Amino acid sequence: MRTYAESARLQPSYGWLSGLKSWWRMLVICLEERLAYRTDFALGTVMRFLPIVTQVFLWTAVFNASDRTDIAGYSRDNIVAYYLLAMLTRAFSSMPGLAGGVSRSIRDGSVKKYLIQPVDYVGFLLASRIAHKLVYYIVAMIPFVSVLFFCRSYFPPAPDGLTIAAYVLSLVLSFLLGFFLEATLGMIGFWFLEVSSIIFAYMLFQYLLSGHMFPIDMLADIPTGMAGISLADVVRFLPFEYTAYFPAAVWLGKITGWELVTGLVIEFTWLIVMIGVCRFVWWRGTKRYSGFGG
Amino acid sequence: MYNSSETKSDRVIEVNDLAKEYRVYDKPEGLWASIRGLFHREKRTIHAVRGVNLSVGRGEFLAMLGPNGAGKTTFLKLLSGIITPTRGSARVMGHVPWDRADDFRRRFALVMGQKNQLWWDLPAAESFRLHQEIYRIEPVRFAQIHDELVDMLGVSRLLGQPVRELSLGERMKLELIAALLHEPEVLFLDEPTIGLDVVAQHTIHEFLRHVQKQRSVTVVLTTHYMKDVAALCERVVVVTEGSILYDGSLEQIVDRFTTHKVVTLDLEHPPAEGEIEKFGFACEVRGPRVSLRIDRTRIADVLPKLLASQQVRDISVEDVPLEEIVAGLFRGAASRQLNNDREQGARLV
Amino acid sequence: MGRYFKIFSTFARACLVRDMTFRANFLLECLTSLGWMSMNLAFYLLIFSFTPEIGRNSGWSREPFFAFVATGLIINSIVQTLFMPSASELTEMVRTGGLDSVLVRPLDAQFLLSMHRFDFSSMANGIVGVALLVWSVSRFSVAPPLIACFLYPVLIVCGVAILYGLIIMLAAATILMGRNQSLYDFWFYITNFSRYPAEIYAGPWGGPLRMVCTFVIPILLVVNVPAGTIARPLSGNAWGMISLTCVVAIISVGVSRIVFQAALARYRSASS
Repeated sequence: MRTYAESARLQPSYGWLSGLKSWWRMLVICLEERLAYRTDFALGTVMRFLPIVTQVFLWTAVFNASDRTDIAGYSRDNIVAYYLLAMLTRAFSSMPGLAGGVSRSIRDGSVKKYLIQPVDYVGFLLASRIAHKLVYYIVAMIPFVSVLFFCRSYFPPAPDGLTIAAYVLSLVLSFLLGFFLEATLGMIGFWFLEVSSIIFAYMLFQYLLSGHMFPIDMLADIPTGMAGISLADVVRFLPFEYTAYFPAAVWLGKITGWELVTGLVIEFTWLIVMIGVCRFVWWRGTKRYSGFGG
Repeated sequence: MYNSSETKSDRVIEVNDLAKEYRVYDKPEGLWASIRGLFHREKRTIHAVRGVNLSVGRGEFLAMLGPNGAGKTTFLKLLSGIITPTRGSARVMGHVPWDRADDFRRRFALVMGQKNQLWWDLPAAESFRLHQEIYRIEPVRFAQIHDELVDMLGVSRLLGQPVRELSLGERMKLELIAALLHEPEVLFLDEPTIGLDVVAQHTIHEFLRHVQKQRSVTVVLTTHYMKDVAALCERVVVVTEGSILYDGSLEQIVDRFTTHKVVTLDLEHPPAEGEIEKFGFACEVRGPRVSLRIDRTRIADVLPKLLASQQVRDISVEDVPLEEIVAGLFRGAASRQLNNDREQGARLV
Repeated sequence: MGRYFKIFSTFARACLVRDMTFRANFLLECLTSLGWMSMNLAFYLLIFSFTPEIGRNSGWSREPFFAFVATGLIINSIVQTLFMPSASELTEMVRTGGLDSVLVRPLDAQFLLSMHRFDFSSMANGIVGVALLVWSVSRFSVAPPLIACFLYPVLIVCGVAILYGLIIMLAAATILMGRNQSLYDFWFYITNFSRYPAEIYAGPWGGPLRMVCTFVIPILLVVNVPAGTIARPLSGNAWGMISLTCVVAIISVGVSRIVFQAALARYRSASS
């Protein structure tokens, strides 16, 4: 017979250590899950490079036909390097299936289990996303490194240590920003039955304004109607470009000094704002959800 | 258009040595194991169905009873041609199911209790109309059967509602109607009452019994509810680990697999300690109420002595509950399997 | 055949009813796909602000290129409306075992699986595509010959057929692998090559790539050949490509049929 006191001691404590432990457990489970489907994985990684190939050929054809050596400050080699770097950033900031998954779990009611289990849903999502990404990097490392090595002649010489540090910081921030943007988007599912088109609309802006499609510098000559303010100036204050363009441009030395600092501050501010919005939306949403009785 | 082999005998389903094996990758637990799994994975063969022989006559109502993972559903999937077997043969109405001939598929229906075959976002009426087109049902005939079935289940007011808004029981009723619209000769039901409340279960039992009698449909039903079996089927096939353990009537299960009867006594006074155990194994003693298990061969001897020695207010003699027998059967099969494995293991050593 | 058409229209009707139940969503979907298209057009306008032509002497200056884009819009809109929704749902059906109920129906499984769901909102892009085509053709310096105007719709159908074959083969892969979340991605990446004129694939890497995407995975024929027919003079080379496209379209549909049947025979069905 175990005394009451003894059995109480055997109960898990809910301190930060055990939080970390269950977090680690979650991460491991997600890793295992991802590893089980390796064919999907290998295919997906290789496929990611295909659009760049098309873009590079397109810009080569443009440089060829126009006799220019410089478009918006980019040489042809710069363009190639830019697309590769932007893709690398997207590997951090893009969250395939996150918003859709969140809204689906709301629609089919499986989100309920996070309302009754002692697990923080957003925390769980973040943990599983980190796991997802980690595994992705492990597997994608080989193709990424070989492609970057193969294309090394397109890159300018490596920047100084401070720039590299800023680059890494902007990458980490871009991951978190991407996560909170998409998680919040998925939670719109608390209010609308089908959020697929909202997600799609977001992806649209994301695609155009993040610099995924072309360097944002190309918008510098496009007026907005306000005196002295170009489209690029407006985009700088939106969150999108920090999920693709910004880190790539930092590495290529297009953004330096004060501009770099303000960029990082804007990115960080957006991250804080999105964390807040995400929490708020979750709080309002679950309140509304339980009000409905699920 | 009937096949010659079918008219000769009245066997609607004929199965010979049918087997289905799956190759699966073992997913070992643990992080390192899964990383190793990237480069090398263990394969394992699962025997879902192991060389089953079965023959079902026209108009029979057959239940397949078995625990989860016994291979019931796989067997139904084989019979309806969804999957191809690893070996063996099967004929359903003279057709090889996995050839998926249109002529075959027009003549049977499959209902899966856990899956939804109706259009989720639309009223069931839309799905029924689609069925009419797919199965080429004459409009007049369609209307006739449709109305009859809808009346029988009393679901006419549900027809215009999107399926997603219906309860599980209501949905099941509509699923059954959809399956019967084309007047199938063979009906496969995979756990049709799973998750339903007692009232809905009862309605569906009544309905199935009625339809089966009226149209002499051949029905194969899988379930793990004894209630389904007791209410509907004359013939029971007990399946575990992909093989048939028993095939016969429900009553015979009792004859064959029980050695005891349960005698329940209401006594005037609670019995003295050890007194009642002389007559048989006491499974329950609660005050003056006593349950005894008595060997069937001895029951004629024991009962008079028991009545003579005790002051009995009431007595009942019953068979061991069916659930218990079947559960015993499943356990028996599992432990036999375990023993076999142990013996093999011993031999290897 | 008549029966299949009837079933087809039943499906179409049901999907329309469904779309109309979620009317706001439908409109939003139309708007987003229009938005998506306009963003692409904006990108092309941006490109033409830097260059008069894509590829030196390729003939793809602004108006012909927009005719090319319009052709792509029309073909993709047809595919997205008719086939893509069913194909992307197939992945889910394989995972959950919903495919089972399709296989027991007395109907061609490929027909049922590739045409049971439609996305009418994708038609919006096609309509804009037609308008864009008319606009750009009317601004050509030389009007296209009459024969080209006759061939154009035929080649559009061929393009759709090639893409259909590809979708079906991807669907077959889904059935074999049991799960393939990257089906849609794969589709996006592959068709990505057909978004721009074939002439941009030049040089030591582009040349072989162009060959592969013309003859092995004939994705470059899909938009290029119909667009080239209407936007450029019909040379001897063009006639060769036109015949090739027709032949490839037939082969693509035929091969996809064989592959799909083979995949169905190996379908495992999800355990319930």
